[in-house]
Amino acid sequence: MDDKNTVFPAETEIIREDLHDASHDVIPDAVSKEIQDIILENVEFSYLHPETGSIAALSGVSLSIARGTHTALLGRNGSGKSTLAKLVNVLEMPQSGAVLVMGRDTRDDAAFWSIRRSCGMVFQNPDNQIVGTTVEEDVAFGPENLGVPSAEIRIRVDEALAYVGLSDLAKRQPSQLSGGQKQKLAIAGILAMQPHILLLDESTSMLDPVSRDEFLAVVDRLVREKNMTVLHITHDMAEACLADRVYVLNHGRLAMGGTPGEIFSQVKKVRELGLDVPVFAELAYEVAARLGLAMERQTLFSRASALDGIRKMLKSVSAGTLRPMNAAACPVSAVQEGRTVLEVSHLSHSYDKKSEPSLSDVSFSVNEGEIFAIIGHSGSGKTTLISHLNGLLRPKEGEITIYPKEGAASLNTRKNTDVRLIRRTVGLLFQYPEYQLFEETVEKDIGFGPSKMGLSADEIKTRVLESIVLVGLDETFLKRSPFELSGGQKRRVAFAGVLAMDPDILVLDEPAAGLDPTGRREILSYAEKLKKRGKTIILVSHNMDESARYADRILVLKHGTVCALMTPQELFADPAKIRELGLCAPETVACLTELQKDYPSVNSCYFRVGDAADELIRAASNASANPGAGDTITSRGGAI
Amino acid sequence: MMKDISIGRYYQGDSILHRLDPRVKIVLCFLYMVVVFMMSSVAGILATFIVVAFLCLLSSIPIGRILESVRPIVFLLLFVFVLNILTNRTGNPVLAWGIFKITDNGLLTAGLMALRLFLLIVSTSILLTLTTTPLLMADSLESLFGPLKRIHVPVHEMAMMMSIALRFVPTLVEETDKIMKAQASRGAEYDTGNVFARAKGYVSVLVPLFVSAFKRAEELAIAMDARCYRGGEGRTKLHVLHMQGKDYILLISLSGLAIMLIIIDFYVKIR
Repeated sequence: MDDKNTVFPAETEIIREDLHDASHDVIPDAVSKEIQDIILENVEFSYLHPETGSIAALSGVSLSIARGTHTALLGRNGSGKSTLAKLVNVLEMPQSGAVLVMGRDTRDDAAFWSIRRSCGMVFQNPDNQIVGTTVEEDVAFGPENLGVPSAEIRIRVDEALAYVGLSDLAKRQPSQLSGGQKQKLAIAGILAMQPHILLLDESTSMLDPVSRDEFLAVVDRLVREKNMTVLHITHDMAEACLADRVYVLNHGRLAMGGTPGEIFSQVKKVRELGLDVPVFAELAYEVAARLGLAMERQTLFSRASALDGIRKMLKSVSAGTLRPMNAAACPVSAVQEGRTVLEVSHLSHSYDKKSEPSLSDVSFSVNEGEIFAIIGHSGSGKTTLISHLNGLLRPKEGEITIYPKEGAASLNTRKNTDVRLIRRTVGLLFQYPEYQLFEETVEKDIGFGPSKMGLSADEIKTRVLESIVLVGLDETFLKRSPFELSGGQKRRVAFAGVLAMDPDILVLDEPAAGLDPTGRREILSYAEKLKKRGKTIILVSHNMDESARYADRILVLKHGTVCALMTPQELFADPAKIRELGLCAPETVACLTELQKDYPSVNSCYFRVGDAADELIRAASNASANPGAGDTITSRGGAI
Repeated sequence: MMKDISIGRYYQGDSILHRLDPRVKIVLCFLYMVVVFMMSSVAGILATFIVVAFLCLLSSIPIGRILESVRPIVFLLLFVFVLNILTNRTGNPVLAWGIFKITDNGLLTAGLMALRLFLLIVSTSILLTLTTTPLLMADSLESLFGPLKRIHVPVHEMAMMMSIALRFVPTLVEETDKIMKAQASRGAEYDTGNVFARAKGYVSVLVPLFVSAFKRAEELAIAMDARCYRGGEGRTKLHVLHMQGKDYILLISLSGLAIMLIIIDFYVKIR
């Protein structure tokens, strides 16, 4: 399996002759780096839409991807990225132009099976691509389709499962796997078909950070060890930095192409395209902008290189050239000292007697008007905890008390029988809420909650309108069917559906999961907007950067117990503590901590990139003003 | 939790019956069904009872677990028993009260009838549902009905649909739970409120569930397409069903037992 051009001897016995095509096995390894595995020439593709006619998904796209390289494809939702992947895999065919895969035209019928067989594709939703009833049956599905003899399938299945590290789970049912394991299973299923090209269509977007890293490690090994060609469609800019090349699509056109460094040095342009740059690149950009320096292009592909760039720029800072920067001290976020609106005390819960408790002795209280983040890995009990907050689960042990506004009587979710009153006070928005839309029109769907509260028709109308405007849509959407909206719009309508119930406390479970960077920012900005209106927000997330940036306080949940409850500044000030809790620091904190080695006076507790850049320049100018004060520039060779 | 839901009533084990070729089990299962229904003498039923008990021993499944499979039909058993007692008026009366008359013949046929149903359930459980995974059952049905492909019955497609359905049961159960919680958060009612509120509550669950099931089906079809699926022709299998010596031995000996039972019953009757 080490040499990807090895053909199993048994392959000659394959019944399906057309699948057994040796043309891609004759390329000598020595020149493989120059071989272009995927070539798109002026490709046009449009979908037919029943009402509006054809919609162009790709227009005039030309690009080529070399063998054994890792290419990232970026772009907003609906920019044509998935279509491009489907063209490569012959799931779609171009209307004009040509797609050449391994040197063969996808429109050539004779090449059809050989191309599809050499391209493996991992899709976004782990559940919807597993066919087999057990793990090994699923891996066997591809080779079975190819007509590989049974003994040979056995070998391939075992090898593929060992490669991705799932050998122990071979007999399990897919439903017993975690999301990350399911995606690794999908890779194993593809490996067993011995492809040369791996297409990842937002395969990491539904994974938590830990599984995501594991998944990416497998992908990286495939490129290095098996000389696999990888095309990775992603919304995550840090993932894009792992690629050799990056292409950006915008409205079906190729907007940018180059190495990650080249792409992310053009911060403005990338942002115009609705994308983000990785935090370290943004930090370098902000520092350069503040110092009026030009940025070096090739430096922005990794954190280490970006930090080197920043060090160079900071060296030019001297006390004289800069006006003294503001705010030297760590910004103490205004901890909301409002009254308590929600109190959880000694809450424990287990789904059945045999298994470990999913929550044990959880106690905390939430203050009015704060953004309260709950972070923790998958399986840490987050979902169980929030299901308790609005009475979906009643506490068996412990108490939850809600204190609504206007001096109303407090609600105890265990004793209080009127669950409607509780749900009116605490609104809960589950992960991927777009799946809960069901009415014929957006208006009716948003109005479902309020109508259940027994409000008058006029009142419902006002609330529906108010909430749809709050999530950035307008009344033209009200008469449309929720099912014809785009993914991001559906998400907002679902959000509005909970807002329309006007709860005092809003629990948001990963509200931005799976959205592109602009979508993420917008959804989170609604949380801030609501906070300004006096709402209390409980934000469940596994994104450290966002939790640190938006939250007033963070609760860390691990194996169903509360590990820490403090402000982001307290939590992330201490690298040892972060490690101890098994978290990863927000990217700004990681960068600043790294630069502390050069400028000991740098305070690492800044979560917004602009603030971090200010802090760096302050520290640097301080250092050059009093070189004796300990802020001497130490060796730069010590960078990661 | 929801994730551990098991499909069917398969009992994990490694007994002779577990390892027996599932096609043999299906054939034997039908054979024993016929035998149980043919038994009309006390001796015949008792002999069948002994054979089924022997099969239970072979399966090495705890007796409690086997009896559990009878639980759903306990009511039916009682009903059949009582009905037979009350309707059979031949033979000597044992007890009479008003229009009710219980006879010895009635008791006998009622007992036989109930025991027959009981044996029917136990033998199918032992031979099939408790010792065979649903997937293997789908596989062996495909293999047994394979000859029907000649007359264009889509046997492979039906087996594939069956196994995909099995694969998605836990996923959809989990999803239903999720949607129910989400809609409950928005005030949907499932077991409170009036009929209309409840109906609306279920609509709010069923619509998203169907929409999502269709979406899943579409995505799965694309994923299968991408993995070169194109029907059953020329397709190979990871697990091929192979009849081995022990399968033939068990098939012959257990069929022999069944035939012996028929002979005993016949012999007792003509005497």
